[in-house]
Order: sequence, then structure tokens, then C-alpha cells
Amino acid sequence: MHWAVKTLLIVVAGAILGVLVTAAAVRQLPASITNGPWTTSVAIGSPQSDPYTRAAEALHGLFALKRDETIYFTATTDDAGNSLDGRCSYEIRGEDPDARWWSITVYGTDDFLIPNPEHRYSVAKTTVARNANGSFDIRIGGSDRSPNWIPAGSGRFSLTLRLYNPGAVMTTLDPQVVALPTLKRVSCP
Amino acid sequence: MSTRLPWIALAFLVAALVHMGTLYLVPRIVMARALDELGAVNTMHAGQPNPFSRSVARMSPDLLYASCPYDLSKGPLRVTAVVPYRAYYWSVSAYDSATDNFFVRNDQQIAGNSVEIVIIKRGQGLPALGNAPERIVLIAPSDRGLILLRTVIDDEKHEAALAAALRQSSCGTVASKTGLR
Repeated sequence: MHWAVKTLLIVVAGAILGVLVTAAAVRQLPASITNGPWTTSVAIGSPQSDPYTRAAEALHGLFALKRDETIYFTATTDDAGNSLDGRCSYEIRGEDPDARWWSITVYGTDDFLIPNPEHRYSVAKTTVARNANGSFDIRIGGSDRSPNWIPAGSGRFSLTLRLYNPGAVMTTLDPQVVALPTLKRVSCP
Repeated sequence: MSTRLPWIALAFLVAALVHMGTLYLVPRIVMARALDELGAVNTMHAGQPNPFSRSVARMSPDLLYASCPYDLSKGPLRVTAVVPYRAYYWSVSAYDSATDNFFVRNDQQIAGNSVEIVIIKRGQGLPALGNAPERIVLIAPSDRGLILLRTVIDDEKHEAALAAALRQSSCGTVASKTGLR
């Protein structure tokens, strides 16, 4: 084979490999910190973030705020590590995280809201139905229809937990001291 | 084997360069596309971006947004950001062309019910400024970017009033006069 043709083929193969490596690297939001099923990165929204975080964030969570203003946790699995599936039913239990305002939102694998006839997409600090002691139980997926229920379609989905103006302990992101809601699978067809 | 080594090295070198290049370009391309979709530059668009549209990933359905895509090549930008009455949470934030959040202030960090933000690029003259209850001058890292206002819909009953309050905010180009470097 002529050396010029060989060079061209090698360059094209290298370029394809480079694009594939980038695609794999930004396939999901970075997860440098894990707390139960919840993951986040300290660099989200920051001008000091690394190129991988910045590229993944652009694709999966554009216009994030810096950590001292808002912390974004993502869950793609339940507490047991199983991928979240909209046909199954999940229960999120907890108390108010240490933040001025919080919300939990369901997104499809394309990072957009999952259309549903009930127009239920999220539960927030200001809208959640609470137990007598102030704690909450949120149902995700399946066909629960309870006040805190959010449908999740019929395939894989993920959750975003937003914590606006997090407290000082929360901003440490230390899983040893930061208490986040639990996420358990209740049933699956 | 020894004759293959240079070709393998070349392939990995090209792969590394393309990998770094695409990592650099992805946020800038995503941001440029988002800015184009958000409407006319240096104009405040209430209700944009819309979490129910498919223009920006992972928007929150619990927030109302207003946005001002800016282009400082047309001159400094003046933003008048009005805090809705009894907002549960409100903030004004600024993003550069690489998607980085280089500025944010929330309602608890503002003394009154509005703040004026003047954004210039490095080397651009500071415009003549009149009186404002509270003013912040920012030097943007890039010519193009976005100002984003957020407010929490704490109760559906408040949504119309919150949306009306967001529409009171504005942004626009102002003429520069003195140099600031």
C-alpha cells in the first residue's frame, strides 16, 4: 500500500478512535462523589472544572450553578445498585436535606422530562406531602397514584436531586455526614 | 513489529489530539447552539429556556426562567434584574461561551428588590452609568454568553405573579465611554 494512503487510513482510524473515546467519556455526568445511589462532582458549574466535567455537563445538565449555590445529585440506580426502570415502583424516604430549597425530578435517558398525562415530573420541598413527623415518602414509577407519586415512563430513567443554597455541612459533600434520602425498589413486574 | 510501531504511535497521537479537541469543542458547540435557540441577543426573554421544551437538558419544572443571550462585541451589557415579591428563591447568574458559571447572586444576597449588572469584556470601555440602588460590574471571560434568571414556583397559585415579575427584568447594550483594563 502506498505510504500516503496508509497514512491517511491511520489518521482517519485515529480520529475515529479519538471521537469514540470522547463519546464514552461524556456519556453521563461525572460522579466523583457517591452517597448511597446519589452521585455528584465537586466541579459541576465551576470555571475550575476539568474538560471532562465541562463537556459532560454541557450535554447532560447545561447551565448548572456553582456548588456553593446549588448541589446537583444524580441517581441512575436504586440503593441496591439496580438500574432505575420506569415499570418498577420505587420509594424515596427521608427528611429535608440541609438546604434552603430542594427538589427531586425524573428524567428520561435523553435528559428531558418524561411526558405523562398526570403532568407530574417532580416533587419539591414546597410541594411534597409530608408525614406527621415532617419526613416524606415519595413514590417513583409504576402506577402508585399517591400524592407524592411521579410516573417514570416504561424504560430506564434517572433522578436529579437539586439542593439550592445548601447548608455548610452539605457543601462538604462528605457522605459520612451528609444525609440524603434513601431510594428502594418496592416492586417490579 | 518494528515497522508497525510508528503507525500505531501515529494512530494514538491522532486519537489523543482529536479526543482533546472534541472535549474542548463540545461545551462551546452546545453553548453556541443553545444561545442561538434562546432568541435575539442582548434581549431578555421571559419563559426561556422552557423546561418542557427540548432545547436545554435537565431544566427544572419547578423553576421559572428568564434569559438574556449576550454578545459583548456590540458593546457593554446592562442587566436590570428584578427580584419577585416574596420570592421563595431567586437568582441571577452568568455563563460564558464554555458554559462556565462565572457569577451568581440570589435574593438573599441583594439588599433591595433589584440589582443592575453591567458586563463588559476586557479592554472594553465602561459605559456612563446613572444611579442604581445596587450595581455590580463584571468582566466576562468571553464575548458571548448567557444571563439566566431563576425563581422557584413554591406554589402554583403564585406562578402567574412570578412570571409577571420576571418580565420586569431587562437587558440591553449600552455605549461604552471610558477604558477599563
